[in-house]
Amino acid sequence: MSIFEYNGSAVVAMVGKNCFAIASDRRLGVQLQTIATDFQRVFKIHDKLYIGLSGLATDAQTLYQRLVFRHKLYQLREERDMKPQTFASLVSALLYEKRFGPYFCQPVIAGLGEDNEPFICTMDCIGAKELAKDFVVSGTASESLYGACESMYKPNMEPEELFETISQALLSSVDRDCLSGWGGYVLLVTPTEVQERVLKGRMD
Amino acid sequence: MRLDVSAIENNFAVHADDDGGIFGGAADLPAMQLPTCADFDGFQKATKELMKNKKGTTTLAFIFDKGVIVAADSRASMGGYISSQTVRKIIEINPYMLGTMAGGAADCQFWHRNLGIKCRLHELANKRRISVAGASKLLANILYSYRGMGLSIGTMIAGWDEKGPGLYYVDSEGARLVGTRFSVGSGSLYAYGILDEGYRFEMSVEEAGELARRAIYHATFRDGASGGCVSVYHVGPNGWKKLSGDDVGELHYQYYPAQATPVEQEMADAPAA
Repeated sequence: MSIFEYNGSAVVAMVGKNCFAIASDRRLGVQLQTIATDFQRVFKIHDKLYIGLSGLATDAQTLYQRLVFRHKLYQLREERDMKPQTFASLVSALLYEKRFGPYFCQPVIAGLGEDNEPFICTMDCIGAKELAKDFVVSGTASESLYGACESMYKPNMEPEELFETISQALLSSVDRDCLSGWGGYVLLVTPTEVQERVLKGRMD
Repeated sequence: MRLDVSAIENNFAVHADDDGGIFGGAADLPAMQLPTCADFDGFQKATKELMKNKKGTTTLAFIFDKGVIVAADSRASMGGYISSQTVRKIIEINPYMLGTMAGGAADCQFWHRNLGIKCRLHELANKRRISVAGASKLLANILYSYRGMGLSIGTMIAGWDEKGPGLYYVDSEGARLVGTRFSVGSGSLYAYGILDEGYRFEMSVEEAGELARRAIYHATFRDGASGGCVSVYHVGPNGWKKLSGDDVGELHYQYYPAQATPVEQEMADAPAA
């Protein structure tokens, strides 16, 4: 198995009507053995910007710590939060710095930008940005996730419906992957509130 | 080393000019073809690498005072992808003998069915049922003759014969072990933990079935390559009987009901360096 499949992961983000949802699985494993079922993969940068990191767990944690450091410096200098588009460029640059010895992570970035316009993007492990208007996926279950999201997604969903859709897409996809699953974690962000929910899934 | 092709040869009488009759056409069946290629050794090695799988499964069997319990999960995986959650890994060789499947599905299915044929032929030739020891020896000898060619089989033969309950572990490396408790597959270590702790020789059939079910469930929880449903069979003096088949997803919440918990992890800032 490749280094990207060492820990196992599944991350997905979807855009709704003036809101977005970002979700991940909760398994941390060492190849086939499951070590933890409450592992955090989606991290907060600021109230309206979240990043999900799939791939090698140690690189995900280190990369998150470096990004939070850079964002705090930015806040001190600019006296405001970073826009999602700017943050995506920051992540891309940080990943390309390590072009010949990369972080083995695929980030999924989701945030509310100017006028609370939802923004999502994903990139590969060396920083190639892929902006999308509907959904982005990454992790060992990404192929199943693409199929599930493609068939379940509709544009302009209200927050409750978006939550249902992203949860079903995540749970049905990780049920086809040995290395991810064991529960789910969904964050739903609207201009006025943030809801986080833990999903009950198959624990095998 | 001579290949043991007795499994493929047909034993029907060969009549050169008899194409009708009950065995019509069977006499023409060829023995298994060997590949005709320049690099015989390299071909096998390449095929072995292609077919390599690591026995991603959990199966177990144990003897107790009322017979043999056999249990298995039902997941088939290809690397990280789950190809099926509904595979039948406990193979019914005949009404009083069961075999378990671990490793290559095709290998296990074919050779278990072949073993069933040989057991039936033994019954017809000797007017008595074959013993579990004899059946497992037949299989082990066949697998030994194919040793090194890339068969992947880790099976347990469980049954009830004149000497009482019998359990043998047979694998594609040629091993044949007699024992009272076995577990095979990538999840076997997790299953052993539960099985060894809860095992007693005197148990009721329900208790033994529940022990096997819990052992497989715990293996499906920890092992990524095991999952789906747990099937539990009991082999007694009158043959085998399926005790239960439970979905592991639901079993988890029976053993550990979901509780409403406060938020476990605050989304905290990175710790101050």
